[in-house]
Amino acid sequence: MKALGLALVVGGWMVAVGGLLASEAMMVRMGAALAGLAVSLGGITALNSAHIETALWKSRGR
Amino acid sequence: MRNLRTSFAVALAVLGLVAITVPITRAADEAPAVALTTADLKGISTPSADDLAKGDPGGTLTGTAADIVMADPKAGLTLADVVNQVGQNRIAINFVWTLVAGFLVMFMQAGFALVETGLCRAKNANHTMMMNFMVYGFGLFAYWVMGFAIQQGGSAGISNLGGMNPLNNEFKLSLFGKDWGLFGTKGFFLSGNTYDVAVMVLFLFQMVFMDTATTIVTGAAAERWKFAAFAISTFFLGAITYPLFGNWAWGGGWLSQLGVNFKLGHGYCDFAGSGVVHSVGGLTALAVAMIIGPRIGKYNRDGSANAIPGHDITMVLLGCFILAFGWFGFNPGSTLGASGNGNLRIGSIAVNTMLAGCTGSFGAILYMWIRFGKPDASMSGNGLLAGLVAITAPSGFVNTVGSAIIGLSAGVLVCLSVEFLERVFKIDDPVGATSVHGTCGLYGVLCVGLFADGTSNYGGSWNGVDGSVTGLFYGDPGQFVAQLIGVCTLVGVIFTLSYVFNWFIDVFVGQRVTADAELEGLDLPEMGALGYPEFQLVTPGTGHSVDVGR
Repeated sequence: MKALGLALVVGGWMVAVGGLLASEAMMVRMGAALAGLAVSLGGITALNSAHIETALWKSRGR
Repeated sequence: MRNLRTSFAVALAVLGLVAITVPITRAADEAPAVALTTADLKGISTPSADDLAKGDPGGTLTGTAADIVMADPKAGLTLADVVNQVGQNRIAINFVWTLVAGFLVMFMQAGFALVETGLCRAKNANHTMMMNFMVYGFGLFAYWVMGFAIQQGGSAGISNLGGMNPLNNEFKLSLFGKDWGLFGTKGFFLSGNTYDVAVMVLFLFQMVFMDTATTIVTGAAAERWKFAAFAISTFFLGAITYPLFGNWAWGGGWLSQLGVNFKLGHGYCDFAGSGVVHSVGGLTALAVAMIIGPRIGKYNRDGSANAIPGHDITMVLLGCFILAFGWFGFNPGSTLGASGNGNLRIGSIAVNTMLAGCTGSFGAILYMWIRFGKPDASMSGNGLLAGLVAITAPSGFVNTVGSAIIGLSAGVLVCLSVEFLERVFKIDDPVGATSVHGTCGLYGVLCVGLFADGTSNYGGSWNGVDGSVTGLFYGDPGQFVAQLIGVCTLVGVIFTLSYVFNWFIDVFVGQRVTADAELEGLDLPEMGALGYPEFQLVTPGTGHSVDVGR
């Protein structure tokens, strides 16, 4: 789960940079950058969820 | 009556003609410009030694042609002497400006130390203060060894500081027909031909910026971070992570070239470091806080959060004031000069900084007052910092209305972010560092792409693209896309690098202290001495107390 999260974080950046190479249209580049950012933020969410799964407070109660 | 109107009209016409003609006539009468020669300089009288011996209480005799340094005193004052002195004066003004600004930024460490220590419990005061103290040492060492070279090793061409010619080697990859600058290769240990007066000025200024980034992380991991892990993590941040992004944004790297290579505005623009300094620090803080986990007692088994108040709010707000003061070095100092190249905009940058800080504090206090019924002191402090963080990147490119809006919105944003990270993400960040510096730093980067008004003129170009930086609201969507790419890089690459390295530290060294040490407070187990040895310290909610001072 953590590896998947990290892969998504990096993948989002690749989508954003890939948009620069794929098209010269400003709207396409902006769309790719926004989509890439969303994917990266999704990756951070997944990564954090994996950490919460094993959090100390879940087992200890405090 | 008709005659009167006619006379009035004629009189007006005559007056108008006179008004137009007189300046033209005067201009024509002006003598043509005569070039100044060395012979003219010989005729300039200077105060005699006797006059000067009498003292100069009015200040009219001190600082004359007699003070210009002559290359050959036997030949007397020449035009070349005067011109050289003018050039050196410009660079001297810029050196002094940049150094003094750097000294102000260095003093921000004191502000961070007070804010973070005040927001932590008394039983961790020594440990938190020591982390803030030692980032200066660990960070500086890492930056001197390799960080500066990676960041600025290929950044020759900074005319405000005399050209910076020894820093002339950037490692680049050629991909898809474009050059992608990745890191500099000159200036390791400040040795070789980087033993240069201008390079030293740039090093000092950039070093204190890097130090600001490293000290952000200590706040998010406070009260449970093993000191050895902190030291290694800080070294890596100062040596690699921070300098890499610094190079891409400020050292001539690929992000700064997005304008030249991809026609995206002026490339990624980050005037004083919302991205380079604050987002890098804030995202590293997020990575460390994730890995290290919340403090004992922060969350209940059902996931609800408990408030763990800091021990000294006066310390916190004093720290915020010190930081706001230091920010006048951070933003206006980022011109790297006060003379030439449109650097007189420093006045505007300083006002933008002041405005955004104040409106940030206002936005936060307003939000907290409406939402919780009381104006929260620590969040008003964080609101001030949020406004300052958000204006850091746009400060050189926006007007006062833009800066007020940016500050106000950042003040509200930081409150929302703190709540979101604590309640939804279950991230325990004792001082709100991730929200203040990470969230608001990224927001500040985007604000350049929105609010830059196209009036700045730093020598006619920025990042190799002619004209002024202009945001989406003023007609350039390309600039906004460049800023978006910068944000994606921060989140996608810098966060990942920080996470992976700190994960390695966790595996091989261990990031977190033992539960016993955490309950006792880190001062004795980690530092060997208490911050407040004469007080009895009690941890609220746990019933755990430390008896000291007996």
